[in-house]
Amino acid sequence: MQFDWLHAAIILFLLAGVVFGIGPIIGSLLLAPKATGGDLDLPYECGVPPHGAAHVRFGINYYFYALLFLAFDVDVLYLFPVSAVYVGSRGWLAFWELVVFVGVLALAVIYFWRKGVFSWPRRIKP
Amino acid sequence: MRRAVSQIEPPLIDLGPVNQILDLCRAMSLWPMTFGLACCAIEMMAVGMARFDISRFGAEVFRPSPRQSDVMIVAGTVSKKMAPAVVRLYEQMPAPKWVIALGNCAISGGPFAFEGQYGIVEGVDQLVPVDVYVPGCPPRPEGLLEAIFALQEKITGRRWWPQPVEDKKA
Repeated sequence: MQFDWLHAAIILFLLAGVVFGIGPIIGSLLLAPKATGGDLDLPYECGVPPHGAAHVRFGINYYFYALLFLAFDVDVLYLFPVSAVYVGSRGWLAFWELVVFVGVLALAVIYFWRKGVFSWPRRIKP
Repeated sequence: MRRAVSQIEPPLIDLGPVNQILDLCRAMSLWPMTFGLACCAIEMMAVGMARFDISRFGAEVFRPSPRQSDVMIVAGTVSKKMAPAVVRLYEQMPAPKWVIALGNCAISGGPFAFEGQYGIVEGVDQLVPVDVYVPGCPPRPEGLLEAIFALQEKITGRRWWPQPVEDKKA
Protein backbone atom coordinates (compact mmCIF):
# COMPACT_ATOMS: atom_id res chain seq x y z
CA MET A 1 0.00 0.00 0.00
CA GLN A 2 1.25 3.40 -0.79
CA PHE A 3 0.16 6.83 0.31
CA ASP A 4 -1.77 8.47 -2.53
CA TRP A 5 -4.17 11.35 -3.04
CA LEU A 6 -7.17 9.43 -1.69
CA HIS A 7 -5.52 9.03 1.71
CA ALA A 8 -4.47 12.66 1.71
CA ALA A 9 -8.07 13.65 0.96
CA ILE A 10 -9.42 11.45 3.75
CA ILE A 11 -6.98 12.91 6.28
CA LEU A 12 -7.79 16.39 5.01
CA PHE A 13 -11.52 15.76 5.49
CA LEU A 14 -10.92 14.37 8.97
CA LEU A 15 -8.97 17.49 9.91
CA ALA A 16 -11.65 19.72 8.41
CA GLY A 17 -14.27 17.87 10.44
CA VAL A 18 -12.30 18.34 13.66
CA VAL A 19 -11.77 22.04 12.94
CA PHE A 20 -15.46 22.42 12.06
CA GLY A 21 -16.41 20.94 15.42
CA ILE A 22 -13.83 22.48 17.71
CA GLY A 23 -13.39 25.84 15.91
CA PRO A 24 -16.62 27.45 17.09
CA ILE A 25 -16.01 26.28 20.67
CA ILE A 26 -12.53 27.82 20.75
CA GLY A 27 -13.83 30.90 18.94
CA SER A 28 -16.52 31.52 21.52
CA LEU A 29 -14.02 30.87 24.33
CA LEU A 30 -11.71 33.57 22.96
CA LEU A 31 -14.13 36.10 21.53
CA ALA A 32 -17.25 36.04 23.70
CA PRO A 33 -17.67 37.83 26.99
CA LYS A 34 -18.39 35.47 29.84
CA ALA A 35 -21.24 35.64 32.31
CA THR A 36 -20.75 34.23 35.79
CA GLY A 37 -22.70 34.09 39.00
CA GLY A 38 -26.23 33.34 40.02
CA ASP A 39 -28.01 30.25 38.81
CA LEU A 40 -25.99 29.96 35.60
CA ASP A 41 -24.76 26.47 36.50
CA LEU A 42 -28.17 24.96 37.23
CA PRO A 43 -28.74 21.96 34.96
CA TYR A 44 -32.38 22.79 34.40
CA GLU A 45 -33.34 25.84 32.40
CA CYS A 46 -37.04 26.60 32.67
CA GLY A 47 -36.85 29.02 35.57
CA VAL A 48 -37.95 26.33 38.01
CA PRO A 49 -35.35 25.07 40.49
CA PRO A 50 -34.74 21.34 40.05
CA HIS A 51 -35.46 19.05 42.99
CA GLY A 52 -34.76 15.41 43.71
CA ALA A 53 -32.12 13.17 42.17
CA ALA A 54 -31.76 12.33 38.51
CA HIS A 55 -31.84 8.60 39.29
CA VAL A 56 -35.49 8.01 40.11
CA ARG A 57 -37.66 4.94 39.78
CA PHE A 58 -39.73 4.75 36.65
CA GLY A 59 -43.12 3.09 36.50
CA ILE A 60 -42.99 -0.65 35.71
CA ASN A 61 -45.37 0.09 32.81
CA TYR A 62 -42.46 1.35 30.75
CA TYR A 63 -40.81 -2.04 31.22
CA PHE A 64 -43.99 -3.64 29.85
CA TYR A 65 -43.80 -1.44 26.80
CA ALA A 66 -40.15 -2.28 26.28
CA LEU A 67 -40.76 -6.03 26.43
CA LEU A 68 -43.81 -5.85 24.20
CA PHE A 69 -41.84 -3.78 21.72
CA LEU A 70 -39.22 -6.50 21.76
CA ALA A 71 -41.83 -9.24 21.35
CA PHE A 72 -43.60 -7.67 18.40
CA ASP A 73 -41.39 -5.19 16.62
CA VAL A 74 -37.86 -6.52 17.05
CA ASP A 75 -39.24 -10.00 16.46
CA VAL A 76 -40.48 -9.04 13.00
CA LEU A 77 -37.29 -7.13 12.34
CA TYR A 78 -35.20 -10.28 12.87
CA LEU A 79 -37.56 -12.38 10.77
CA PHE A 80 -36.75 -10.40 7.63
CA PRO A 81 -33.22 -11.82 7.19
CA VAL A 82 -34.59 -15.26 8.14
CA SER A 83 -37.14 -15.07 5.33
CA ALA A 84 -34.35 -14.21 2.89
CA VAL A 85 -32.16 -17.17 3.91
CA TYR A 86 -34.93 -19.71 4.61
CA VAL A 87 -35.56 -20.52 0.93
CA GLY A 88 -32.06 -21.88 0.49
CA SER A 89 -31.91 -23.85 3.76
CA ARG A 90 -31.85 -27.67 3.83
CA GLY A 91 -33.67 -30.00 6.17
CA TRP A 92 -35.76 -29.17 9.22
CA LEU A 93 -33.02 -27.56 11.31
CA ALA A 94 -33.77 -23.99 10.17
CA PHE A 95 -37.48 -24.51 10.86
CA TRP A 96 -36.93 -25.70 14.44
CA GLU A 97 -34.51 -22.85 15.12
CA LEU A 98 -37.14 -20.42 13.93
CA VAL A 99 -39.75 -22.06 16.13
CA VAL A 100 -37.49 -21.74 19.18
CA PHE A 101 -36.77 -18.08 18.43
CA VAL A 102 -40.39 -17.10 17.88
CA GLY A 103 -41.50 -19.39 20.71
CA VAL A 104 -39.35 -17.65 23.32
CA LEU A 105 -40.67 -14.27 22.27
CA ALA A 106 -44.20 -15.64 22.17
CA LEU A 107 -43.78 -16.67 25.80
CA ALA A 108 -43.38 -13.00 26.67
CA VAL A 109 -46.59 -12.20 24.80
CA ILE A 110 -48.45 -15.02 26.57
CA TYR A 111 -47.08 -13.86 29.92
CA PHE A 112 -48.37 -10.33 29.41
CA TRP A 113 -51.60 -11.68 28.02
CA ARG A 114 -52.14 -13.62 31.26
CA LYS A 115 -51.17 -10.53 33.24
CA GLY A 116 -53.95 -8.60 31.52
CA VAL A 117 -51.73 -6.02 29.87
CA PHE A 118 -53.74 -6.14 26.64
CA SER A 119 -57.12 -5.50 28.23
CA TRP A 120 -56.68 -1.73 28.87
CA PRO A 121 -59.24 -1.42 31.67
CA ARG A 122 -61.07 1.87 32.06
CA ARG A 123 -59.65 3.69 35.04
CA ILE A 124 -62.52 6.15 35.29
CA LYS A 125 -65.85 4.46 35.84
CA PRO A 126 -68.80 6.25 34.23
CA MET B 1 -37.44 38.63 45.66
CA ARG B 2 -33.80 39.06 44.83
CA ARG B 3 -31.96 40.97 42.12
CA ALA B 4 -30.22 39.01 39.39
CA VAL B 5 -26.56 38.27 40.14
CA SER B 6 -24.59 38.18 36.93
CA GLN B 7 -21.08 39.46 36.38
CA ILE B 8 -19.94 39.80 32.80
CA GLU B 9 -16.23 39.41 32.16
CA PRO B 10 -14.71 40.88 28.99
CA PRO B 11 -13.61 38.46 26.25
CA LEU B 12 -10.05 37.12 26.22
CA ILE B 13 -9.36 38.81 22.87
CA ASP B 14 -10.58 42.30 23.66
CA LEU B 15 -9.64 44.27 20.53
CA GLY B 16 -11.59 47.26 19.24
CA PRO B 17 -12.06 46.26 15.58
CA VAL B 18 -12.82 42.61 16.43
CA ASN B 19 -15.43 43.72 18.93
CA GLN B 20 -16.96 46.12 16.42
CA ILE B 21 -17.43 43.38 13.84
CA LEU B 22 -18.76 40.93 16.41
CA ASP B 23 -21.10 43.53 17.88
CA LEU B 24 -22.50 44.20 14.43
CA CYS B 25 -23.11 40.47 13.98
CA ARG B 26 -24.73 40.26 17.41
CA ALA B 27 -26.95 43.27 16.75
CA MET B 28 -28.20 41.84 13.46
CA SER B 29 -28.98 38.42 14.89
CA LEU B 30 -30.60 39.09 18.26
CA TRP B 31 -32.26 35.89 19.45
CA PRO B 32 -35.08 36.71 21.85
CA MET B 33 -36.28 34.33 24.51
CA THR B 34 -39.82 32.99 24.14
CA PHE B 35 -41.04 34.61 27.27
CA GLY B 36 -44.58 35.97 27.26
CA LEU B 37 -45.90 36.82 30.70
CA ALA B 38 -49.17 38.58 29.91
CA CYS B 39 -51.12 40.30 27.15
CA CYS B 40 -48.07 42.15 25.76
CA ALA B 41 -46.92 38.72 24.62
CA ILE B 42 -49.77 38.78 22.07
CA GLU B 43 -48.16 41.85 20.54
CA MET B 44 -44.81 40.08 20.65
CA MET B 45 -46.36 37.17 18.73
CA ALA B 46 -47.79 39.62 16.21
CA VAL B 47 -44.30 41.02 15.71
CA GLY B 48 -43.09 37.53 14.93
CA MET B 49 -45.80 36.94 12.33
CA ALA B 50 -45.83 37.94 8.66
CA ARG B 51 -47.46 41.37 8.93
CA PHE B 52 -44.81 42.97 11.11
CA ASP B 53 -42.17 40.32 10.54
CA ILE B 54 -39.37 40.85 13.03
CA SER B 55 -37.22 38.51 10.92
CA ARG B 56 -36.56 41.44 8.56
CA PHE B 57 -34.30 42.72 11.33
CA GLY B 58 -32.72 39.42 12.29
CA ALA B 59 -34.53 38.83 15.56
CA GLU B 60 -37.06 36.16 14.63
CA VAL B 61 -35.32 33.19 16.21
CA PHE B 62 -37.32 32.95 19.44
CA ARG B 63 -35.46 30.44 21.58
CA PRO B 64 -37.22 28.27 24.15
CA SER B 65 -34.07 28.10 26.29
CA PRO B 66 -32.18 30.91 28.03
CA ARG B 67 -28.90 29.22 27.12
CA GLN B 68 -29.42 30.16 23.49
CA SER B 69 -30.92 33.62 23.93
CA ASP B 70 -29.41 37.07 23.57
CA VAL B 71 -32.30 39.27 24.56
CA MET B 72 -35.02 38.76 27.11
CA ILE B 73 -38.24 40.51 26.10
CA VAL B 74 -40.15 40.84 29.36
CA ALA B 75 -43.59 40.99 27.76
CA GLY B 76 -46.10 41.70 30.47
CA THR B 77 -46.82 41.79 34.17
CA VAL B 78 -44.20 40.27 36.45
CA SER B 79 -45.94 38.86 39.48
CA LYS B 80 -44.00 38.23 42.69
CA LYS B 81 -44.59 34.53 42.16
CA MET B 82 -42.94 34.76 38.73
CA ALA B 83 -40.07 37.02 39.85
CA PRO B 84 -37.65 34.22 40.92
CA ALA B 85 -38.13 32.52 37.55
CA VAL B 86 -37.43 35.77 35.69
CA VAL B 87 -34.26 36.31 37.71
CA ARG B 88 -33.12 32.71 37.24
CA LEU B 89 -33.74 32.79 33.49
CA TYR B 90 -31.81 36.04 33.17
CA GLU B 91 -28.89 34.57 35.09
CA GLN B 92 -28.88 31.51 32.85
CA MET B 93 -28.54 33.52 29.65
CA PRO B 94 -24.99 33.57 28.26
CA ALA B 95 -23.18 36.88 27.81
CA PRO B 96 -23.66 39.26 26.09
CA LYS B 97 -27.29 39.65 27.13
CA TRP B 98 -29.88 42.38 27.02
CA VAL B 99 -33.35 42.99 28.40
CA ILE B 100 -36.30 44.79 26.82
CA ALA B 101 -39.12 45.80 29.18
CA LEU B 102 -42.22 45.65 26.96
CA GLY B 103 -45.25 47.54 28.17
CA ASN B 104 -46.22 49.56 31.20
CA CYS B 105 -46.47 46.54 33.49
CA ALA B 106 -42.87 45.55 32.88
CA ILE B 107 -41.74 49.18 33.21
CA SER B 108 -43.53 50.19 36.39
CA GLY B 109 -46.34 47.78 37.22
CA GLY B 110 -48.75 49.60 34.91
CA PRO B 111 -52.40 49.59 36.00
CA PHE B 112 -51.59 47.18 38.81
CA ALA B 113 -49.39 49.66 40.67
CA PHE B 114 -51.64 51.08 43.34
CA GLU B 115 -51.33 51.59 47.05
CA GLY B 116 -51.67 48.34 48.96
CA GLN B 117 -51.14 45.95 46.06
CA TYR B 118 -49.25 42.88 47.12
CA GLY B 119 -48.75 40.64 44.10
CA ILE B 120 -46.96 42.59 41.38
CA VAL B 121 -43.34 43.61 40.92
CA GLU B 122 -43.54 47.31 40.09
CA GLY B 123 -41.03 47.39 37.30
CA VAL B 124 -38.85 44.54 36.11
CA ASP B 125 -35.80 46.79 36.54
CA GLN B 126 -36.04 45.96 40.25
CA LEU B 127 -34.95 42.45 39.27
CA VAL B 128 -32.79 42.61 36.14
CA PRO B 129 -30.93 45.44 34.39
CA VAL B 130 -33.16 46.74 31.59
CA ASP B 131 -31.68 48.14 28.36
CA VAL B 132 -34.77 49.35 26.48
CA TYR B 133 -38.16 50.41 27.85
CA VAL B 134 -41.16 50.27 25.51
CA PRO B 135 -44.13 52.23 26.88
CA GLY B 136 -47.71 51.35 25.98
CA CYS B 137 -50.55 49.24 27.28
CA PRO B 138 -49.87 47.21 25.24
CA PRO B 139 -47.33 48.82 22.90
CA ARG B 140 -47.95 48.62 19.17
CA PRO B 141 -45.90 45.94 17.37
CA GLU B 142 -44.02 48.80 15.75
CA GLY B 143 -43.01 49.82 19.27
CA LEU B 144 -41.28 46.50 19.80
CA LEU B 145 -39.58 46.81 16.42
CA GLU B 146 -38.39 50.25 17.47
CA ALA B 147 -37.06 48.68 20.67
CA ILE B 148 -35.04 46.21 18.60
CA PHE B 149 -33.67 49.16 16.59
CA ALA B 150 -32.79 51.00 19.79
CA LEU B 151 -31.03 47.91 21.10
CA GLN B 152 -29.10 47.57 17.85
CA GLU B 153 -28.13 51.21 18.18
CA LYS B 154 -27.01 50.61 21.74
CA ILE B 155 -24.88 47.63 20.69
CA THR B 156 -23.29 49.06 17.54
CA GLY B 157 -23.40 52.80 18.18
CA ARG B 158 -25.48 53.79 15.16
CA ARG B 159 -29.05 53.48 13.90
CA TRP B 160 -29.37 51.10 10.96
CA TRP B 161 -32.92 51.72 9.76
CA PRO B 162 -34.73 54.85 8.47
CA GLN B 163 -36.66 56.96 10.93
CA PRO B 164 -40.43 56.37 10.84
CA VAL B 165 -42.38 58.92 8.80
CA GLU B 166 -44.76 60.97 10.93
CA ASP B 167 -48.44 60.84 10.05
CA LYS B 168 -49.33 64.29 8.64
CA LYS B 169 -53.11 63.81 8.96
CA ALA B 170 -53.06 63.53 12.72
